[in-house]
Amino acid sequence: MTVPVETAEKAVPEAGRLLAAWAARTGAAGRGRAAELGWDFVVARAEGAYVLDTAGTRYLDCHTGAGIANLGHRPPELVAAVKRAVHETDQGNFPLISAEKAALAADLAAFAGGRLPGVTFGVVRGEIFDFACKLARGATGRKVLLAAEGCWFGQTGFALSLSTRPEKALFGPLIPETRILAVEGDALLGAVGSDTAAVMVEPLQAENHCREISAETLRVLRARCSATGTLLVADETQTGFGRTGRKFALEESGVEPDVLVVGEALGAALFPIVAALATEAVQGFMHAHPLLHLSTFGGSDLACVAARAALASYAAVRPWENAAREGKRLRAGLEEIARRAPAIESIAGRGLLVSLGLGTPERARAFCRALARARVLAVPGEVARHTVVLRPSLTLGEDDVALLLDAVAQAAAAVHAAS
Amino acid sequence: MRDVAESPPPRPAVTPEEKSRIEARFASHISRGQVALLRAAHLDVLETARDGVRFRDPTLGRAFFDAFTSAGCFNVGRHNAAVVDALVRALDEVDVGSYLWVSPAKVAFAERLTSLAPGDLKRVFFAAGGGDAIDGALKLARGATGRAEVLSTAKAYHGHTGLALSANGKPHYRQRFEPLDPAFRMLPFNDLDAMEAAASERTAAIILEPVQGEAGIFPADGGYLRGLRALCDRTGALLVFDEVQTGFGRTGRLFACEHSGVVPDLLVLAKSIGGGIYPNGAVLYRARAPLTDFVERHPDFHPSTCGGSDLGCRVSLAVLDYLVTNRLWENADRQGTRLLAALRALRQESPRILKDVRGQGLMVGVEYLHEFMGPMMADALAKEGVFAAFSGNAPQVMRFMVPLSITDAEMSELIAAIRRAFAAMRTLLPVALPAARIPGVLRLLNDESVQATLFGILRRLEDAAARLRRSVR
Repeated sequence: MTVPVETAEKAVPEAGRLLAAWAARTGAAGRGRAAELGWDFVVARAEGAYVLDTAGTRYLDCHTGAGIANLGHRPPELVAAVKRAVHETDQGNFPLISAEKAALAADLAAFAGGRLPGVTFGVVRGEIFDFACKLARGATGRKVLLAAEGCWFGQTGFALSLSTRPEKALFGPLIPETRILAVEGDALLGAVGSDTAAVMVEPLQAENHCREISAETLRVLRARCSATGTLLVADETQTGFGRTGRKFALEESGVEPDVLVVGEALGAALFPIVAALATEAVQGFMHAHPLLHLSTFGGSDLACVAARAALASYAAVRPWENAAREGKRLRAGLEEIARRAPAIESIAGRGLLVSLGLGTPERARAFCRALARARVLAVPGEVARHTVVLRPSLTLGEDDVALLLDAVAQAAAAVHAAS
Repeated sequence: MRDVAESPPPRPAVTPEEKSRIEARFASHISRGQVALLRAAHLDVLETARDGVRFRDPTLGRAFFDAFTSAGCFNVGRHNAAVVDALVRALDEVDVGSYLWVSPAKVAFAERLTSLAPGDLKRVFFAAGGGDAIDGALKLARGATGRAEVLSTAKAYHGHTGLALSANGKPHYRQRFEPLDPAFRMLPFNDLDAMEAAASERTAAIILEPVQGEAGIFPADGGYLRGLRALCDRTGALLVFDEVQTGFGRTGRLFACEHSGVVPDLLVLAKSIGGGIYPNGAVLYRARAPLTDFVERHPDFHPSTCGGSDLGCRVSLAVLDYLVTNRLWENADRQGTRLLAALRALRQESPRILKDVRGQGLMVGVEYLHEFMGPMMADALAKEGVFAAFSGNAPQVMRFMVPLSITDAEMSELIAAIRRAFAAMRTLLPVALPAARIPGVLRLLNDESVQATLFGILRRLEDAAARLRRSVR
């Protein structure tokens, strides 16, 4: 299949046809909603921090597939590694012993600090979060699962049950013995008891205006979990692999979880792969109950080769350092803009995970539209829908930050003018 | 028929010591029990030189027929040149991308898939794999009907995510993780009366596999499926076919539902659409109310980060092209007929050991008299260079799900290997069968953990004997 990038004259009508064809097969409302965010184009190519549409227009990607292209789109060394690997391996038979899986598991456990040697792979965030819930129930023999309010864990049964999502009642009763409780006050902490299998948290809630659980609260929660035999499960899907200016966001507090969920950034946006890391004690359940949780695509051999190459790049590039540096520059620039532009009501986040408070969901969508006109792609938060989340490639340079700041200034002015 | 991608450079053989290191690494990080289980069944093989219907174990230096294909993922054969080439070319332009944007690859795959789908299954959403797709399909069914109840079938297998597991018919996969979604009920498979008695205006969905895979290869009767269609039409429940294993030619038709002519309301697809190299999944649904109304009201009801990725859609398009150009379902039908005939002949020779042979296309199952014979046969097949798995939800059933690209000569070889393996297993039965008649022993033999221990001890004895032979030499 060829991508029509020859001329803008040819490409634009082609984009119109493709968008219409897409709407015909997936629904008009989905297209409408994307158009409302200014995403009314067809992406032909992704490269580094940018994507190109079929008309050749270049956009700075500040969505990055919900924060998965941490090393930018298609880093050349990773593309080369996958191209080599595809001649040597494939998906593999999932129940078999796999050299590729074993090697990645060892590398990933080492990358995460070595205290979580148990590794189970999945293919998408919801699936691996569901596994983490099952693992907690299986390993503790308890049923109750608690989550901090404001989290967003994914789309599958357990993940949905524990996510703060107003319309989830549409999807049935879902998983029993799951509760969502406020971190503030004593609600969550007070509920942790001898019948609790696990407490699930995102250390920094990307979809909820980057609300953080403070280091002190995390330490108290850790102590309470340890005292009651409850597992602490941290989902770092959106915060891991350098996004917040540290390798993992939990490093900020020094708290160590019993289970760490890592997301699609593991495959650097080249291959779908996610994982749950566990302590030796918790992984004992998987040692004792082999093949009780299966994933056909989870940790496919080819994905493991891609992820190993990505881990090597993460270790070499240390993108958390750039995320901290450019994140600081971005934050300073945003605060400067916010002082002049009343549309931006608040700024939150760490490193290159930044959330802008726009007051209402309508203004957040209008802000995204204006950003797209200025050639920057971003979307509102899924929980805090009055916010816009900026999560670009962590390899962002000074010029890219300048471009982003310019776009934010234009968008803030446009939203203010319209309100 | 089989295309082989540009030959990979020859790989050095893996020494027994290296293999031990790989196994130790796998055991310590992933699952010690899994390694023990596979060793006990002589399935501690490593997959290299994956090509067509085979892979090679680099330590044994022996080729294995892939008669499991990751539960039906390698329909187009392993390392299919056209599919590999599509991925390599796509890597020059795109990556996973974003579920929020439209790309030429996504549109082309959506158009092609819906053009091949039966009836008015003309709408689609994507998912990253089978479990993700099933959960998405059930969310759509519940959202569209405004009802909660889901009816599935006994011994069904739909995956391991929250809702898929709630529909799963084997307690083994569920019991340590309960409670699961309380609005699920299970009814006997192929029993229309039972489903008619259970379904009502409260039912959101009836979900089933047109051929139950993990349950032990049970094709649904055409009359049963037509009855379910009528039942759903009467009650307003939505009919969901899980074709994760049966889709894309496996049963001798492009989709298994074509055998009965029944068009479900939702058709769930994954596994083989990834061509054995790149994860992808899709849910087709009918272009009619209440499904379309719900999607228009809630277009973001199931966004999947990596489902329908830009790379995945380029790969899946190549898979569809290959399937259609080579009409692989016709080969599945032809080769499946041969395999069934050969297995039925084997059954006639040993009716007291082989209870049943059944299947559709290249989804074939052999049922033994006792559960413990499944792992014994897996072991015997492995020694004959055939990798096959007994059914997850029915260990007494051996499943054969070879690539649909298998040639006449390869099928003849496979049949000969199965006959040899069966003969080898039969020699062990004069010990096992009388033992099984002792009260309590059969239950013990059928226990999975006892099998793992027993076969593990036998395997260690064999390894010790082999070491002894080597040292004597």
